[in-house]
Amino acid sequence: MGDDQQTVRGEGGIKRSSRTRTRKKKKNQIPLGIMALLFVVAVGIILARTVGGNVALFWILGSSFGFILQRSRFCFTASMRDPYLTGSTSLTKAVLIAFAVTTVGFAAIKYGAFIKGLPIPGQSYVVPISLATAVGAFMFGIGMVIAGGCASGTLMRVGEGFGMQMLSLFFFIVGSLLGAAHFGWWKLNFIVRGPRVFLPDVFGWVGAVVLQLLIIALLWIAADKWAKRKSSSSSH
Amino acid sequence: MKIFDKIKTDPYYKAWLKDAWPYVTGAILLSVFQIVSLASTGTPWGVSGTLADWGAWLYQLVGGSVDKWYYFASDAAQAKLAAGPLKDPGTFRNIGLIAGALFAALIASGFKFKKIKTWRQVAAAVLGGLLMGYGARIAFGCNIGALFSGIASMSLSGWVYAVFLFLGAIVGSKLLVKYFM
Amino acid sequence: MSKEVELDCLGEACPVPLIKCEKALEGMDTGDVLICQIDHSCAMKNVPEWAREQGHNVEIEEVDDGEWEVIIEKVK
Repeated sequence: MGDDQQTVRGEGGIKRSSRTRTRKKKKNQIPLGIMALLFVVAVGIILARTVGGNVALFWILGSSFGFILQRSRFCFTASMRDPYLTGSTSLTKAVLIAFAVTTVGFAAIKYGAFIKGLPIPGQSYVVPISLATAVGAFMFGIGMVIAGGCASGTLMRVGEGFGMQMLSLFFFIVGSLLGAAHFGWWKLNFIVRGPRVFLPDVFGWVGAVVLQLLIIALLWIAADKWAKRKSSSSSH
Repeated sequence: MKIFDKIKTDPYYKAWLKDAWPYVTGAILLSVFQIVSLASTGTPWGVSGTLADWGAWLYQLVGGSVDKWYYFASDAAQAKLAAGPLKDPGTFRNIGLIAGALFAALIASGFKFKKIKTWRQVAAAVLGGLLMGYGARIAFGCNIGALFSGIASMSLSGWVYAVFLFLGAIVGSKLLVKYFM
Repeated sequence: MSKEVELDCLGEACPVPLIKCEKALEGMDTGDVLICQIDHSCAMKNVPEWAREQGHNVEIEEVDDGEWEVIIEKVK
């Protein structure tokens, strides 16, 4: 009781002055959303019938990733940046969970192929480790925080209408071309000497999965403790 | 139309299509689709490799040629470039990502075009984009291909990438606060 | 009389809205209310999350398509 004409209470009970600036009437974008969905489905069908099923599959998978990323506000950049910048590790922990779940799924698929004597899928992602890995990842880490989004985050934000990430995407492409131009030099001087290490080759299939899950679990605990430490030590 | 306004108040619409999902939900769903990707396409998710191909096609558009570059020397790479972006699966996966995110924003009535606000943001986008593009090429990928897919694939490279990515993020944070805010 | 501070974070890239809110809240007294205008989908999640973790009262109001006000009442 006792709210005068100049103050309002929001649903959470926070008392504040009523808005003096006039609100724009909110448009309902749901019709546009439905059109967007129809577009995605239509493109998928058209691709399947013209270019081929594989391309259609990639389109659907990409759309799914984009949808999931936006719906959950998932951000790999924040997972690496926030522990330092804000003390928050909620995304770090979520990314670790993603690592764990995919470890199990990927190991199952790879092992299933292995024991059947079939070529193991996805092994092209087991790449040589060299100075180029370290320098490249370091550069990427700097870039993604400055640009306000990593590779997936940039694409997601283009879809959300961020002009800044549209610009970032263009220069990501330019940087990629430069990197490709120099790749030969990096390959000759560093990458060619770098080992490819597939953990099951070193620890066996079970050993590798267990070890990796163990490391992820320990990192999760560390992230959990870090956030608790950061929030209790901040004085407000 | 009134039906669309009615949808806005529906609790299932709110929970599934409007309110943000928890991060863990996102993590698990992304993982599911990563596993689906490997199982159905034979390869995990990747983003930045395609961006280099886009660069090559754009470069060709303005008269350049990457035919003598080591990076594009393999038969597979030459074939992919020759076939063009409209036949390239990676192109459709990346554009699909944009489309999926756009759909998600629209169906939640949350799409808004956000113009670039300051010259600092321009500088940040340019520098950040260049660093990401170059770094991803020499390290064999980005946060998806090298980190997420690399670690999922039980490649030690993924973990090495993670360590240096984290260090880079710290430096990036310092630079962000100092110069780009 | 509790103060009401408006913070315009429209058009800011992640994580600028969160950092600006943190700094603004530091300089405010208990009972003051910070109203942060945001149009970044990540920020409309990570700002309330951070503020709740600090123990403040938080409300989110959708102002327009893709625009939110995060209202934080400083509790301690």
